[in-house]
Amino acid sequence: MTIRPSGFSVLRAGRGSFLLHRRAALVATVLGAALAVTAVVYLCVGESFVSPTEVVRVLAGRPSPDEFVVGTLRMPRLVVGLLAGAAFGLAGAFIQTVARNPLASPDVIGVTHGAGAATVAAMTFGVTAHTALPYVAILGGTAAAALVYVFAWRRGLHATRFVLIGIGISVALGSLTQLFVTKGDYLVAQQAKVWLTGSLNGRGYDHAVPLAVISLVLMPALFWAARAQRTVSFDDDTATALGVRLGRVRLCLIVLGVVLASVATGATGPVDFVALLAPQIARRLTRTAQIPLVGSALTGALIMAVADLLARKLFSPIELPVGVFTAAVGAPYLMWLIVRTRSRSGGAA
Amino acid sequence: MTGNRLRAEGLVLTYEDRTVVDGLDLEIPDGQVTVVIGPNACGKSTLLRALGRLLKPRRGAVLLDGTELSRIPTRRVAQKIGLLPQTPVPPEGITVSELVTRGRQPHHRWWQQWTEADEKAVGEAMDRTATADLAERLIDELSGGQRQRAWIAMALAQDTDLLLLDEPTTYLDIAHQVEVLDLVRQLNRERGRTVVAVLHDLNQAARYADHLIAMKAGRIVAQGAPSDIITADLVHEVFGLTSVVVPDPVTGGPLVVPGAPWQCG
Repeated sequence: MTIRPSGFSVLRAGRGSFLLHRRAALVATVLGAALAVTAVVYLCVGESFVSPTEVVRVLAGRPSPDEFVVGTLRMPRLVVGLLAGAAFGLAGAFIQTVARNPLASPDVIGVTHGAGAATVAAMTFGVTAHTALPYVAILGGTAAAALVYVFAWRRGLHATRFVLIGIGISVALGSLTQLFVTKGDYLVAQQAKVWLTGSLNGRGYDHAVPLAVISLVLMPALFWAARAQRTVSFDDDTATALGVRLGRVRLCLIVLGVVLASVATGATGPVDFVALLAPQIARRLTRTAQIPLVGSALTGALIMAVADLLARKLFSPIELPVGVFTAAVGAPYLMWLIVRTRSRSGGAA
Repeated sequence: MTGNRLRAEGLVLTYEDRTVVDGLDLEIPDGQVTVVIGPNACGKSTLLRALGRLLKPRRGAVLLDGTELSRIPTRRVAQKIGLLPQTPVPPEGITVSELVTRGRQPHHRWWQQWTEADEKAVGEAMDRTATADLAERLIDELSGGQRQRAWIAMALAQDTDLLLLDEPTTYLDIAHQVEVLDLVRQLNRERGRTVVAVLHDLNQAARYADHLIAMKAGRIVAQGAPSDIITADLVHEVFGLTSVVVPDPVTGGPLVVPGAPWQCG
């Protein structure tokens, strides 16, 4: 009888051997297919309907009368949405893993509010170029997260302290943002409000560039992270006993999460709940002992594409910010999660 | 200095500003089962944590093969010392076989996640702990005894020469307690593994230990073979309990029988 952890298949290549969770692989395949279908529908639907055949023609690079609508108007927006959704999903996966808490997300550790405060401040001081704002948001998000980390560090990183300090700093930054909105002139305030809801309106390839570059650069790190993630889900003592350098692993995972969340926020603004929802949905689908990374990324992208499809179409011709829809789905889910966590652990979440 | 692999010299252990162990010297005899006993809060678990580099000494050092433990990469330590904490927390939704597989972590490379050595170690660990039948079950749905066996299987799969166990019999009924301790003893006898266990039950300690360490208030009161050191005086000194020590009817070793209830403190 061959022995292997149940649910896994072993892939061998030369001296290498890899464990593959069968259900996670299946889920990733199905999500990938769903994403492809959603993308085609997304490109078909809009102010004018384009037939799927024409969409496929444009995607294949062949000449088509709908090239402008599909390739120039809808495609860049979809690409930004997919990349940002995947980045939010991954960021949530890393942050929830380290915080050991399904309620944790980039909101909680200051990224979103840091990016928000920095962007709104920049708008107030007259920076409106949409090529500059993403970078301002990335800086603000990373700086806020670093601040949380520094305050939360006391001879090691304690998950609860990390989350509590994150919430505190987020609230402070939220007030700061409000202050800027109030101080700024009417137009800036309105622009800031839209940005703070999270929107894909008017997003083009220049928004996708930082996202795509960062995703490519971080690709190798994801292989490392997938393995590291398995060990930090134990308690501290057990993980250390298994030879894990817990402090370092946690820091690296958080840095990955913060960078991804900041870059995504820079492109779309803080789209609520994607980072919170995607990892939890993915994990319920794969039933793995840790949050699946590929699954989280695909789920994040799928949520974003579907939400933006609805945001564009539901109240057509008015295009709502995508954040409105993710919040409409996310808020009830969050409440359900809180109620469920409480009843399971007797209030000591 | 003898050639024992695990030693402690001038060990001072503190939590925040509270000193728990102050200037302790210790040698863990190779190839034997060492059991640490003592009253609650005497520092026995703290000592075990330090031996397993979970707690960094304020002063002094734990030495493994003559090298200070804190200078050895933690992964290398994990290839030599296995440790099972008192209340380990499993990842949510993990199966028994996957948990046992995680014990192989310190031996894995990213491109070698399932070698023959892994298969052998995991299979053997599950056989020995009789967890093979539970392989597909979730840890969350097991009974206390089954769960503890799964954790021990994980520690065994780590395949280390030294094994540290912090109260491995907590939460278990008497039959499972004996089962776990028999298993520990068997591993020691058949594989020559060095075991250090913290135990609560004095009589179990007396029965299973080759080398017994009695602690009180952060220092070692007595150590040696149970039959040499367990006396009514020692029990009184360490636990403040009046007792009679009689020969164990099964092993002939010392058996501590507490004094009349109205005399207990």
